[in-house]
Amino acid sequence: MGSESEGEFHRPSPEDIESWMQKAFDMAREALEKGEVPVGCLMVNSNQVLGKGSNEVNETKNATRHAEMVALDQVLEWCQREGRDYREVLPHTVLYVTVEPCIMCAGALRLLHVPLVVYGCKNERFGGCGSVLDIPGDELSGTGTAFESVPGFRAEEAVEMLKTFYRQDNPNAPKPKVRKD
Amino acid sequence: RRRDADTDHVSWDVLPVLSSEQCQDTQLLDAYAAPITNKRETSRLVRELTTVYPMPGLQHIKRVRACKDPGSPHPLEILVCLVRDLPDAGDERKVSISQLLSSAKVDMSGLGDPFFVKIPACPPLTRPQFELASKHWPTSFHEDKQLTVALQGQLFTHGQKAKMQEFMETAIAAAKAGLQEGMEPIGAVIVDPQTERIIAVGHDCRHGGHPLHHAVMVCIDLVAHAHGGGAHQYKYAGCWFSEPSPAPSLKKSNLLNLEVKGDFNELGSKILPYICTGYDLYVTQEPCVMCAMALVHSRIGRVFYGTASADGALGSKYKIHTQKGLNHHFEVFKGVLKQQCEDLRNMPF
Ligand SMILES: [Zn+2]
Ligand SMILES: [Zn+2]
Repeated sequence: MGSESEGEFHRPSPEDIESWMQKAFDMAREALEKGEVPVGCLMVNSNQVLGKGSNEVNETKNATRHAEMVALDQVLEWCQREGRDYREVLPHTVLYVTVEPCIMCAGALRLLHVPLVVYGCKNERFGGCGSVLDIPGDELSGTGTAFESVPGFRAEEAVEMLKTFYRQDNPNAPKPKVRKD
Repeated sequence: RRRDADTDHVSWDVLPVLSSEQCQDTQLLDAYAAPITNKRETSRLVRELTTVYPMPGLQHIKRVRACKDPGSPHPLEILVCLVRDLPDAGDERKVSISQLLSSAKVDMSGLGDPFFVKIPACPPLTRPQFELASKHWPTSFHEDKQLTVALQGQLFTHGQKAKMQEFMETAIAAAKAGLQEGMEPIGAVIVDPQTERIIAVGHDCRHGGHPLHHAVMVCIDLVAHAHGGGAHQYKYAGCWFSEPSPAPSLKKSNLLNLEVKGDFNELGSKILPYICTGYDLYVTQEPCVMCAMALVHSRIGRVFYGTASADGALGSKYKIHTQKGLNHHFEVFKGVLKQQCEDLRNMPF
């Protein structure tokens, strides 16, 4: 059990990646059905989910409370509860997320030495794993560790969910609108 | 008036941190020019050469210049073409005018022997770029007067600089308080410049159990607290926010109700907490990429930092505030109490 947190990072098998991404997509789908942002985000360490985030920007009035930041907080709390050193746990913890992390979240993942990020669709507006900037791959010797990011996992489906969400939520969407105010 | 002695010889300048395009060296293109031996042919030559060699994308370049050498028999020189316009452009520096115009229907009378020149590839964006470009070939320049003044370190009045110094001193004091708690000596202050009121003061807390609690992240969360939100609690005396003012300005409450236009990760409902809109951040050192992007998400107004840092994302490694494709840009200035901010790094723990 504890041995996975020592030594080198073992990349999850394609089957494992597939099944964790399935869970992330299930999360996103659930959120969509509840009228929330359809983004699923999981942090997994040796087949255990240590963090599960959803966007908390509105509750906290803090624009930095993205799903990934919330999930990272949960991993840190888990470490504290279990008496584990986050500096040993996070280098063996993978992030599975249905939308590409933004530049800020990519920076946070680097700072905490997360080795691998698997994501669904691109985030053209803020994406920090290739779309706007490439934070995981850039030369930043003082900002944690470079990491691998695997893009494009069921990207069309992730985009489709976001589009559905905007159609029901976005006041600018081309849709017959009844203005109440 | 004890402070007068200090502020009188302020030993720091506050300088704008510009985009890469605004600070890059002048890129040059190889071209051929020729003296105009008969001045009366000038307008005809300009017309005909512009038709044959239009030089697209180089609208900033003046086709004709006054000869640099005042003793020259020919006072005007004209750009004939770019080297890349020629069918077999070798690196021949010596060419004849008939070679340059061999395939073109231009009456060569009035043109002297061509010579090789380098001309600026892009229109200059700043006065320093304009002055460098003009050494090669005259260009037009649409001067942003405020930018010129800013680059001379003269954008702010003495009074404004004294206020900046006061805010940065607060950030430095926070950094020192953080150091006492075993943190990195970095401090930050968020101010409403309209009222000159401090909204939040924070220091680095990364060694207090949460490695992402950089001074800027702490400060942003403290502003959220000031607005009745917040994600974390900070047990340090050096991290605090001021009580929300009794009557929040109308402008602010309107901004909190901005409607969403389809932000991906940022979106929760129709209300977005762009809580730092119109606020200034003072931070002792240049923020990292996480903190810099957090400032974009929070819609900070301006950032003032004391000293640059190796992986900094507002000038050193990235210029997040000028990044094309991002939907919020802000002004960044560096150098406020530079030396004192630099000294923080070498503070004994
Ligand atoms: Zn993010
Ligand atoms: Zn930072």
